[in-house]
Amino acid sequence: MTRYAMVVDLDRCQGCRACVEACKVENNTPSAVFWMYVFRLEEGEFPDTKMTFLPRPCQHCNNAPCVKVCPVGARFKREDGLVLTDFARCIGCRYCEVACPYGVNYFNWRGPEDAWAPYGIPFDDADLAAVTGGAVPAYKNPDHDLLHGPEQRLTSGSGHYKGVMEKCTFCVHRVEQGLMPACVDTCPVGALKFGDVEDEQSPISTFLRNHEHFQLLEELGTDPSVHYVGGTPPRSDAREIERPLTGV
Amino acid sequence: MATQDIMSRSLPQGVGRWSRGWLAFMTASSVGLVIGIIGWWMEHDQGMVATGMRDLGSMGGATWGLYISMVVYLVGVSFAGITVAALIRLFDLEQLKGVARMAEVLTVVALLLGAAAIVVDLGQPLRALVNLFRYARPQSPFFGTFSLVVSGYLFASLVYLYLTSRPDAARLARIPSRLQTLYRWWAAGYQDTADQRVRDRRTTFWLALAILPLLIVAHSSLGFVFGLQVGRPGWFGTLQAPAFVVLAGVSGVGHLIVLAAILRKVVGQEHRIGLDAFAWLGRFLMLLLFVYTYFVVVEVFTTIYQPTVAEQQISEAILTGRYAWIFWVSIAALVIPAVILAQMALTKRWRIGWLVALGISVNVGAIGKRYLIVIPSETHGQLMPYGVGSYSPSLVEYAVVLGLFSLGALLIGGFMKLFPIVEMEEENS
Amino acid sequence: MSRRGIISVGMIVAGLGLMVYAYFAGAAPWCATGVACSNPRLEWSPAIFVLGVLLAFSSALYYEVSNGPKE
Repeated sequence: MTRYAMVVDLDRCQGCRACVEACKVENNTPSAVFWMYVFRLEEGEFPDTKMTFLPRPCQHCNNAPCVKVCPVGARFKREDGLVLTDFARCIGCRYCEVACPYGVNYFNWRGPEDAWAPYGIPFDDADLAAVTGGAVPAYKNPDHDLLHGPEQRLTSGSGHYKGVMEKCTFCVHRVEQGLMPACVDTCPVGALKFGDVEDEQSPISTFLRNHEHFQLLEELGTDPSVHYVGGTPPRSDAREIERPLTGV
Repeated sequence: MATQDIMSRSLPQGVGRWSRGWLAFMTASSVGLVIGIIGWWMEHDQGMVATGMRDLGSMGGATWGLYISMVVYLVGVSFAGITVAALIRLFDLEQLKGVARMAEVLTVVALLLGAAAIVVDLGQPLRALVNLFRYARPQSPFFGTFSLVVSGYLFASLVYLYLTSRPDAARLARIPSRLQTLYRWWAAGYQDTADQRVRDRRTTFWLALAILPLLIVAHSSLGFVFGLQVGRPGWFGTLQAPAFVVLAGVSGVGHLIVLAAILRKVVGQEHRIGLDAFAWLGRFLMLLLFVYTYFVVVEVFTTIYQPTVAEQQISEAILTGRYAWIFWVSIAALVIPAVILAQMALTKRWRIGWLVALGISVNVGAIGKRYLIVIPSETHGQLMPYGVGSYSPSLVEYAVVLGLFSLGALLIGGFMKLFPIVEMEEENS
Repeated sequence: MSRRGIISVGMIVAGLGLMVYAYFAGAAPWCATGVACSNPRLEWSPAIFVLGVLLAFSSALYYEVSNGPKE
C-alpha cells in the first residue's frame, strides 16, 4: 500500500518562493490564496536575530482534524495518505478551516466570473490578447476537470468554485500520473522531496532514516505527512517579516 | 377576560383584528426583511466576498464572523423558551402560565432564525440542504447541531406549542369569526372534559421531560463545535459546552422578560402575567447570571495564570487590546443586572420597567460574548507564526442580520394575530 | 394499556430504533482515515435519523389528537 509523504529540507530552502509560484500556476489558485506558502520568519531580539524560511504546504495529517469535522464528508483522507476536498460535495461551511491548526485552508470568496478581478488584469485588452495569443484567462490544466482516484471524486486544482473550500492536494492529478507535485518539481535547490514512505527503499524513506526530522505542531497529535529536516520548529517568538497579498 | 370575550362574541387579545400600531410594526419589520433579502442576494450573487470575512492565517481574516455569532446567540435564546414552558408544566408554576405560550413561540422563532443564520453563512446553501440530509457525518459536531437542534428540538417545540394550544383553539372555535374554521381544525376534536385535561397534563409533562435532555444535548453539541478544536487555543477546552448552556439561559430568559412585558400591555393581559411571574423570571435570570459570572471568572483566571503563548495573545486582545471594549461592555451588561436583580430579590421589590431594561442589557451582553467566543480566536493566537488578523462585519452582514431579526418580528407579530399569545384562562378552574 | 397507548409507545420505540440505526449503522462511521469514513453506509441516513426524531415526538401528537369518542 502506498503512503505518500513530503520532506522539507530547511537547510536548503532559500526563500525564493518558486514553489509558491509553481503551485499557483499548476493549480490556478485565486488571488491571496497560497496552497503552498513560505513563511519568512524572524526570531530573537536585535542584534541576536535569526531569519528563517518555512515552507508550509498542507500537512496531509494522518489524524486530520479537518476530516473529522467535515459535516458532509467532502474532506476525506485517502488510503494513500492524501487529504483531499470533493469540490462537488463541499457546502462551504468552513469548519475545516477553523479546525486546521496550520491554516492551510482557503475558501472561494468569489465565483469564476470575477475570480481575476483582484489582479486587475484587463484580459479583454487588445495588446494583452496579442501577446498571450488570446489565452484568456490563464491556462487551466484540463486534468482539473477530471475525477480522480478509485473514489472518482472532483478533487484537483482550483476551479474557482464559488462558495467551496480548497487547499493543497499534493498535486493529486500529477501524482496519479507518476509525476512529482509541482512545488517539488520546481524547487531549484531540491529542498522539497516527495515519495512513498511505505516503500523502505524509496529515496524519501532512505533520506528520513538518515536525517533527524520533526513535524510541525507535533504535540497536537495530528501526525502530519510532511517532515522537516535540517532546522528546528519555529520558536514561540517567531514572527512574519513579510505578509503576503491579502486582497481577495 | 376570556369568558367575557366569548360572551361578547369577539376574538380575544386583538386576534383577527388589525390595529394601526400593529400595521406600523409589521411594515417596519417587512422593510427590514427586504433589506436582509437584498443583502443575502448580494452575498449569493457576488460570493461571500461581499461579507467582511476572509480566510484566517495567511489572508489575515476571520472566516467565521457575525453570522456564526448570531447562530450561537439565537440557538441560545431558544433554550429559555422551551425550558420555562417545560418547567411550568413539570412543576405546575401557576404564576407563569401566562407566559408559557409566548415562551414556546420564542423558542420556535429563535430556532428558525438560528437555522436561517447557518444557511446564510454557507457558501453553497442549496447544496447543503440536500447534502446534509444525504451525507451528514455523526463525527462532525455539526451533525448534532443540524439533526438534533434544528430538526429534533424545533419539531419537539412545535409539537409542544401545538398540543398546549388546543384548549384555546377549542374555545375560540365556538366564536363565529373569519378564523373559526381554522380553530376547529386546530383544535382537532378537543373536548374540554376533566378527563381530557388530566390526559393533557400527563402528555405535556412527559413531553417536557423528553425535551429537557434533548436541549441540553443540543446546546452542548453547539459548544462542542468550538470546544473540540485543538487547533484554536481560544476555543479548545472543556468549559465551552456548559458555558454555552448557561449563557443560552441568560439570553433566553432576558428575551422572555422583555417579550412578556411588552406583549402583556399590547394584548391587554396584565392580569394574566403579574408581578409574581416577573419575580420568578427575575430570580431565574439572576441565578443563571451568577453561574455565568462564575464561569467567566474561572475562564479568565485560567487563561491569565500560566497561559500558553497563543492563549496569552488571545486573552490580551480580549482583556486589554482590540476587543477589550466589547469584553468590558458585555461584562458590565451581564454583571450589573445580576447585582440589581439580587437587590430586587432581597428586597422583594420587583419593578417591571427595570426588568425590561435588564432583559435588554443581558441580551446585549450575550451578543457581545458570543462575538468574543467566535472572532478573537481566529484573528489572534495562531499556532503557526502568522501575523495578527482583523475582521469587521460588512454592511451586507449587518443587513442580513437585520433581516433575520425582522423575520422574527414578523413571525411573532403574525402569530399573535392568528392566535392568542397569552394563554386564556380556564373557564372552570 | 389502550390501543392508542400501544400505538404511541410503538411510535416512540420505532422512532428511537430509526435514530439508533441511522446514527450507529447507517451514517458515516466514526473514523478519519480512508474514503469509507467520508460516506454514509446507507445514503440519506441523516434524513432517516431526523425522521426517527420526528416519529418519536409525533407519538405525543397522535396520543393527544386521536381521542375517539369511546375514550
